[in-house]
This record gives sequence, C-alpha cells and structure tokens, in this order.
Amino acid sequence: MFFYTIKRLAIAVPTFIAVLLITFTLTVISPFDPVAMMMTQFEGTLDTLAKEEVIERIRDQYGLNDSYWVQFTRWLGRLMQGDLGISINGQRNVLRMIVKTFPISFQLGLAGAVVTTILGIPLGCIAALRQNTWLDYTIVGGTLGFRTVPVFVLAPLLLVLFVLVLDIMRVPRGWDGLFQSKVILPVFILALGPLPVVVRQTRAAVLEVFSMDYVRTAKMKGLHMWRIILRHILRNALIPVVTTLGFIAEGLIVGSIFLDSIFAIPGFGGVAEAGFRGFDYPVIMGVTMVSAVMIILTNLIVDLIYPFLDPRIKIE
Amino acid sequence: MSESTEKLSNGSLGEQLAGESALRTRSLWKDAVGRLLRNRLSIIGLIITLFLLISALFGPYIAPYSYTEQDLLNVAKMPSPDHWLGTDEIGRDLFSRVLWGARTATLVAIFTTFISVIIGVIIGAIAGYGGALADNITGRIIDIVMSVPGLLLAALIAVSIKEPVVTWAENIYDASGFPLFADTTWLDLLVVFGGLAFVSWPGYARLIRGQIFSLREEQYIEAAKSVGVSELKIALRHLLPNAIGPVIVTLTFSFSSAMVLESSLSYLGIGVQPPQASWGNMIASNIGSWSYRPWLVAVPALTLAIVTLGINFLGDGLNDALNPRSKRSI
Repeated sequence: MFFYTIKRLAIAVPTFIAVLLITFTLTVISPFDPVAMMMTQFEGTLDTLAKEEVIERIRDQYGLNDSYWVQFTRWLGRLMQGDLGISINGQRNVLRMIVKTFPISFQLGLAGAVVTTILGIPLGCIAALRQNTWLDYTIVGGTLGFRTVPVFVLAPLLLVLFVLVLDIMRVPRGWDGLFQSKVILPVFILALGPLPVVVRQTRAAVLEVFSMDYVRTAKMKGLHMWRIILRHILRNALIPVVTTLGFIAEGLIVGSIFLDSIFAIPGFGGVAEAGFRGFDYPVIMGVTMVSAVMIILTNLIVDLIYPFLDPRIKIE
Repeated sequence: MSESTEKLSNGSLGEQLAGESALRTRSLWKDAVGRLLRNRLSIIGLIITLFLLISALFGPYIAPYSYTEQDLLNVAKMPSPDHWLGTDEIGRDLFSRVLWGARTATLVAIFTTFISVIIGVIIGAIAGYGGALADNITGRIIDIVMSVPGLLLAALIAVSIKEPVVTWAENIYDASGFPLFADTTWLDLLVVFGGLAFVSWPGYARLIRGQIFSLREEQYIEAAKSVGVSELKIALRHLLPNAIGPVIVTLTFSFSSAMVLESSLSYLGIGVQPPQASWGNMIASNIGSWSYRPWLVAVPALTLAIVTLGINFLGDGLNDALNPRSKRSI
C-alpha cells in the first residue's frame, strides 16, 4: 500500500507541475501587457511625462523584464509560500480572493455532488432493471440531454420558467448559507451536469452484476427483488461509480463559473469569471491551478480508495 | 463491384480477404442507415442538424436584416410581424442574429472538430504503434491536458494567444496587403479554434489508441497477418474501416460540445466579440435583464439547447446504428 501511494503521488505531482508550466508559459507567450492594462485605469491621473518611467518601474517591480526561467522559478517559489500574486483589476490578493470564496463554492459543490449521487444511482438502477424499454431510453437520453445544455443556458431558462411563467419562487439571489431555499435551484442546476455520467456508470455496473452467478443464486433462494438489489447488486455496482468522482468535480467547477454571477453567489466561479472577463492574469492562473489541484486530488483519492473497495485490484 | 472482382482475380489470399471486407463494409453502411432511420429520436436529431447546416450556409440570405442593423424606433420589442423574434436592447433583429449565430457556431464546430481529429488520430496512432515508451509519453501528455477543466484551459489559451494572433495578422496585412487580413472578425474565430482544438484532441487520441489496441487482438487481423499482409495495409484495410464507426459517433458528440464550448467562451467575453453574433455572447449581453426581457435570453438559449440536444440525439442514434452489438452500453 505504501509503495502504491508513493507511485500514485509520483504520477500526480509531475502532472501538476506540468499544468503549472503550461499555465505559466501561456501567460508569458502572450505579449499582452498587464502593466499597460493597469495604466488605462489611471488614465489622465498620471503626469504624461513621468508615465514611461512609472511603467518601467512597475515592470521592474513585477519582475516582468526578467527571462522566462527566472520568472518561472521565482513564480514557483512564491507559489510554495502561498503567494498567488495581486490581481490586476482592484489590486487584491488572489489567494485571499480564492480562500474567501472557496468555502461557499465547496459547500455548493458538495451539495451538488450529493444530489447527483442521490438522483443518479436510483435512476441508473431503474434504467438497468428496465433495460431497453422506453423508461431506460428516457432516463439515459434525458439526463444526457441536460448535460449537453450548458449552465448559462439552463439557468436563465429555468429562472424564466419558475419565476415568470409558473411563478412558484422568488428570484434566488445571493448566499446566506447552505440551508436556504434559494440554493435549491443553483444546486439542482449544478447537479444536472455530472448526472448522466453517474447514471450511465451505475446502469452499466448494475447490468454487469445482474448476470453474475451469485445474483442468480440469490434469486433461486427466493429472496425478494429489493433485497437482492440492495444486498448484492448495489454493493458491487457502486464501486465503479466511485471512478466518476473526477468527472463530478470537473462538472461542478465549470458549472460554478457560470452559476455564480447569474445567482449573485460570491463563490470561486465568480472570481474565475471576473478574471476572464477582465483579462486578469494572476486571477486566471490562480483559478486554473486551484481547479487542476482539485481534479488531480480527486483522482488521486479515487485511485487510493479504489483498492479498498475492490480487493481484486492488485496493489503493486 | 468491378473493383472487388478485380481484387479477387488478383491471387493472394490476403488480397481476397481485403476485397471481401470492402464488400461487407458497403452492406454494413446500408444496414446502419436503415437502423438510424428506424430510430425516431435520431430522425428528430437529423432534422435539427440539417436545419442547423442550412441556416449556417444560407442564414445570411434568409435573414431579413443584417446582424448589425439597428431599428432604433423598435428597441427591445417583443416578437412582432416585422421582427419575428423581437429586437434586442439596441434594436437589432433577434431572428437575424440567431441565424448569423448559427453560422458562427457551425463554423467553429466544424473547424475545431477537424483540427482535433487530425491531432488526435496522429497522437493516437503514435501511442498505438510507437511502442511502450511512446504510449507512456502520449498517455502522460493526455493526462496533463485532461487534468485541467477543458473550458478553463481553452479560455486560458484563447486569452493568451489572442494578442499574438492579432499582431501576426496585422504584420501579414502590412507586408502583403492581402484584403483577407484586414478584417479581424475571423481572427476571433481562429483564436477560439486554437483553444478548443487544444482541449478536444485527447478524446480522439484515446479513442484511436483504444481501437488500435483492441482491434489488434481480433482474429481477422491475426489472420491477415498470418497470410503476410503488410502492417500498413492492415491498418488501412482492416483497422480503419472497423474503427470508423466509433470515430463517427465521437465526431457527432464533439461537434455539439465544440458548439457549447464556443458559446461558453463567447459568453465569458473571450470568444466571438460583439457585434458579431454568437449565441453565447447574445445570452451574455442580455442575462442581466432576464426578468423583464426574458425573450432576449430565452431565444438564443433555447436555440443552443435544441441544437445541442438534436446533435446528441443523432449521435446516440448513430451509436446504435454503427455499433449494433454494443446496444446502448457505455
């Protein structure tokens, strides 16, 4: 187990470093000048004569005149100390921006993951037990349909439907903690994204387990159907569903980018969206790295707990 | 038919086998079309996809107005006989803009899919044929690309390469005076292609690699090898026709996901810039006013939803039609 963990880590760490390298290289490649962008905000307030000097000083201060590797290693060093830089728009500490908003998004994401699981596993079971009937097609096709429709399409359409047409709710805006009725719609929309992955995985797993000898034995013993499902099928079918956790994490992160501004939730996704809209490199880099860490970590956790769930997986 | 008879008379057993497979492939396609047309959902998908392609090709000629033309007396109006789907916040005809948006979305989807298939097939083939080391290296690269959410990476790339691409085009224009480079609107598209292609090739690479590895184990490949058919011929004659089914299915699905990614980027203000019409930027510029001008958001949103659903129905139908054995499994 120890060597297995080391091996997994040995894969995860270089992957993350490669992600860092890609992120950093991309921002260096672009001749886009953050200082010039910053200057436009102070247009008119600066003495035109001193402007070039000020720009040069800021460039030095940010180390933008150094070579690529110097910049990269310095950036990496700062990263180790938890310094993600200062945002260009508004001069705020990027790490603090993320740390402040992350818990909100994490709660929402967790709620979304729970809803996905609660909806997805029964739906997948039903689809498998009614294989190749209209019910199966509806569940698989319907959930797939929702996945392909992006959040920024689904959210306004559902808002129009629920608030304007059906008039059954007030406009859900803001964040007052997880246990408020206004988080229902955002969480539901978040949960729909990764839902088809869970449904399909559960469905396939149940179908596979269904043909096993021990299920036939249980049937022959005259056990009740629901008991067979709970005791024998679900237990074994749920193992492969764990592998979808990475997809779920990615779906939740991407979903929150669009969701936060629509529902005025002060979350991680909102920081990302503002970063992209404002071409705010430190923010974009910070957000990309944190997302990559989340996904790599999730996959690592899946890899590490999988041998416990399925002892047939041999640990080398 | 004449081609295959010629092949049969040609002698070697390998050639004969190859000729046989060409004959069988044709009937497989006929079968597949039959199966596709029997499925009601995929017919709907096919119709929606055809509609999209027609609007993309002829939209600008069908559209009653241009995508920039403003009717300042009718700003943000509900649908009317003059403006079938109403007008937007600065008086542009929504129906016309949706049609122009269809062209944007289709263009991006076609090019992105094309580029990423080429990259994916090359990398997949390297992984499949290049031995264990090549397989390992490409596998790691794919893992790295896939560990960042596709949208974030595409957005990051689009943001970063935008300036270089624009300066590059300006330089070419200055040097050559070629009128194509005077117009910067298609540069937005180019930037989006780059970002999207970079995040969508790993899917194809994995698919091709998987196909190569799994088909290799098939007995007919072994049979072809044992009668001395060359590797290249096996790849072209046996692997390719057998792998093409899953590739077509993936093509369809990634066509719609490229569309979604394009509108996502445009929604975030990175992709296609206004006044160019993209369903994504149309949604973005009106999302703040969804509660009092709902049609401005609902029209592009519904269009995007219907189109992606339709293409996915078609993809599902194709999956059933082309892989009849793996009916509705993952």
